[in-house]
Amino acid sequence: MPTMIQSVVRPEKVHEVMKALLDAGFPAVTKMDVFGRGKQRGLKVGEITYDELPKEQLMVVVQDGDKELVVETILKAARTGTKGTFGDGKIFVSMVEETWTVSSGTKDA
Amino acid sequence: MKQIIAIIRMNKMNATKQALIEAGFPAFTVRKVVGRGKGIVDFGVIQGAQAEAPEAIARLRDDGPMLMPSRMMTVAVADESVSKLIEAVMRANRTGNGGDGKIFVLPIEDAVRVRTGERGTAAVN
Repeated sequence: MPTMIQSVVRPEKVHEVMKALLDAGFPAVTKMDVFGRGKQRGLKVGEITYDELPKEQLMVVVQDGDKELVVETILKAARTGTKGTFGDGKIFVSMVEETWTVSSGTKDA
Repeated sequence: MKQIIAIIRMNKMNATKQALIEAGFPAFTVRKVVGRGKGIVDFGVIQGAQAEAPEAIARLRDDGPMLMPSRMMTVAVADESVSKLIEAVMRANRTGNGGDGKIFVLPIEDAVRVRTGERGTAAVN
């Protein structure tokens, strides 16, 4: 059963995360620009509140057995400093029932 | 109900739209994304750039497969329409080369049509 792992990470960290995924053996990634806010209700700098912060969303679909490894890889690469800080992002895991490859027209196992 | 996410080539968008309308799926959402696949990239296409900026190309190689711009199409359909939709998308997009794209099928719990408040399959039909 394949699993979709969607992660929202800092734009300045996305390069590192994608490199880490490649090194861990997961080359296939889809990336998109997104904007959003988290539990801290955005970012407050003096009088100004930014409640739509730019982030990058990465979408990876892997086999169920690789789920932990991919999540660990993203966590390690996306964290700021050793402890991490607010705004480092989120990872969402959802189930995928089928995946198909268009070029060959076959359903992946 | 299923959510179908198809990642396809940029230049196949019009053909795919046409194919979906013919197959009876007028409703979908599309956005521009970039991504990479299993890593089969032909670096011949950037050989022209190579002559002018070798260090840029070296960096590209260093970072692994290139990110290709593509379209991500999201459609919500009833269970029985899934195979028909997959067929239509694949027929419109298949060139037989790597990079044609992927189709993912995900389960969705519920759907609501905002205008009428209809729930479930009625909202996507």
